[in-house]
Amino acid sequence: MIVSDRHEPTSETAGLPAWLRLSPRIIWVDLVISILSLLPALVAVWLFDVDSGGQIWPLIGLAIFGVIGAILDVVRWIFTRFRITPTHVELKTGVVLRRHRFIQRDRIRSVDIEAKLRHRTARMRVINIGAGQQAAAGESALSLDALSVDDALALQTELLTAAMDTDDLDASCEGVAAEQRKQEDASVDEGRHPVARENGEPIRVFARFQPSWFIFNMFNIWAYVLALGLGWGALWLLGTFGIDLYGIVVGLFDWESIGWLGTALVAVGALGAIGLGVNYFTENWKLELARVQGRDGTVLRTRKGLFTTREVNRDENRIRGAQISEPVLWRWMGASDTSVITTGLDVWSMTEPAAILPRGPLRRAREVAGDVLGDSENPFTVDLVGHPMRALLRRLLLAAFVTVAVTAVLVMLAFTAVIPVTVIWAAAALLPVCLLAAIIAYRALGHRLTDRYLITRSGLLNRATTVLQRSAVSTVVISESPLQRLLRLRTVGTMTAAGYGGYDTPDLDREDGLEFALHAAPGILDPFVIQDDTE
Amino acid sequence: MNDAIRYSSPSDAVADETSSQEESDSAALTLRPPANRVQRRAILWWMLQSLVLAVPVLAATIVAYVLWESARPWLVLAVCAAALLLVVGVVLEPLLRYRVHRWETTSSAVYGRSGWLVREWRAAPLSRVQTVDARSGPIEQMLGLATLRVTTASSYGAIDIGGLDRTTAARLADELTEITEQTPGDAT
Repeated sequence: MIVSDRHEPTSETAGLPAWLRLSPRIIWVDLVISILSLLPALVAVWLFDVDSGGQIWPLIGLAIFGVIGAILDVVRWIFTRFRITPTHVELKTGVVLRRHRFIQRDRIRSVDIEAKLRHRTARMRVINIGAGQQAAAGESALSLDALSVDDALALQTELLTAAMDTDDLDASCEGVAAEQRKQEDASVDEGRHPVARENGEPIRVFARFQPSWFIFNMFNIWAYVLALGLGWGALWLLGTFGIDLYGIVVGLFDWESIGWLGTALVAVGALGAIGLGVNYFTENWKLELARVQGRDGTVLRTRKGLFTTREVNRDENRIRGAQISEPVLWRWMGASDTSVITTGLDVWSMTEPAAILPRGPLRRAREVAGDVLGDSENPFTVDLVGHPMRALLRRLLLAAFVTVAVTAVLVMLAFTAVIPVTVIWAAAALLPVCLLAAIIAYRALGHRLTDRYLITRSGLLNRATTVLQRSAVSTVVISESPLQRLLRLRTVGTMTAAGYGGYDTPDLDREDGLEFALHAAPGILDPFVIQDDTE
Repeated sequence: MNDAIRYSSPSDAVADETSSQEESDSAALTLRPPANRVQRRAILWWMLQSLVLAVPVLAATIVAYVLWESARPWLVLAVCAAALLLVVGVVLEPLLRYRVHRWETTSSAVYGRSGWLVREWRAAPLSRVQTVDARSGPIEQMLGLATLRVTTASSYGAIDIGGLDRTTAARLADELTEITEQTPGDAT
């Protein structure tokens, strides 16, 4: 097997580095995957002598799926080339539709290393390159799947150091910068590994894996979906081998006394919770959130994972704040999600690169988020200013309106005999729920300005406390709906390049709102404000 | 930035029971409206836009009413709603918008007010602006109008100023682009 495949020349262009292939170990992995996916069908046929048509087909489907996937992966390997020039990272992919993608190296914001189980067994790593995409636009990063571990680490070091080098260089001396980088690349090439090790030492560790937090991660609406999938899968798989799980379970209990539906719900819930708990351990095993030294400035690094390991590096120069959100159903146990607000990371990504902690206790989340921001006074623990009672009134009116509207529709449906008249009573139950929601939403409201940050808290289903650097605000938006105008309220939106792109502070008193907007984004609104004598 | 001091002189502080505890000496400040109105032709633009959207909806509901006899008690509601939508969209919305929509550009910032039911004031300093361009859709082209779009690094931070004269929009785009190119900083 070729140990280092990055120096395998495939085409020679004058002055530019050669095109490189991904690691050839992919082919071996694909071979193994094909064999493994064929195995269940073969075992079923030979050992268990399953020949009834209906049961064997899914296994054959699995085998076909696995083999075709592996073949496509090999084809992908054959047609993929990449190269690192002094100014760009280039990637060519595709069989029929050839795609040639460029990423300017000075635009590179993050280089993450990821590995699934199959990558780890073959000592390979996936590299995801994020390049200052509009964070909220959900653009995909360029991904190299996969390189050998050594090559991946070397490439990460090379790209990150070069990216940081050019960050503070003037755009006008681009040519000189490119020259410099060429020389530096050469020097880095010699001592690449020592540099990587040196940079890997954490300056400060903020948080480590907490086994006890599994309790926060066990409850989730997805638990039920997961459980249904698992249960059905187990039933089907065992059925394939002629084991009647259904019959066994039915025989275990006295079903008359418990009732079918109740049991099914409890079983599904328990199974889902256990699944999520196990998932917490595999995903966050050996978690370490640390500040490490990059070439120029510090990097906030997360390492975690049991089977699939992940490493996320976030350039601290690009961090503009942090957010802690508390989901409404689990607020009583203090569950909270913590993330940083930063540019260049895709907040909509399923892998949540901006999340710095798994779901955990609020007190600890506040500590860690405050430590990461690094101010002497933790902005997450300051007292927030509440909003006027008129904000509550607005929410109660909206709640009443929703109830009336739903009732009206139900009454109409009942009159036209689409639904029975008794259903109208459901609307009566809706009113207290809506009013309660209004009160919860009102109690979530709060805001405050400190020297560096604007702090705002709102949200019904997810009470989110956002701490955003005032200097990061790029647009101020003040809005008033008719009802808000009537109640002398307004909403202030502070838009920024980082995180979700904008954070609203709803229902401030009209004068306080203007004051808040003026100070939240220093200088932006100043030219457009006058002393008012009429009011 | 002298923002913190400039607006808190105690002389004009009016005791207001609704003002919050944090900075109780808030003077009676208001956001002044942006200096310029949009073109009067913009009313026509908004009317045509509403027509293009609402007429097909109304036509569809009427056709359904005629063809589908058993559902008429329901469809009469849909027809009424579509008709109301059309009237509001063609008469009320454009007139309200013309009263609300205003804009202003200075050598350092862009400021716009828009909306009809929900009013919105948007301001961005030119040092944060990434792109400025003038664009016009088919109806706007017909009327010689254009929309000035100013974007910042935030995906929610764009300021759209619609209903400008096409030449004004093009001139503004050129001027603002020139200023933003001279302003240092990466606009994030």
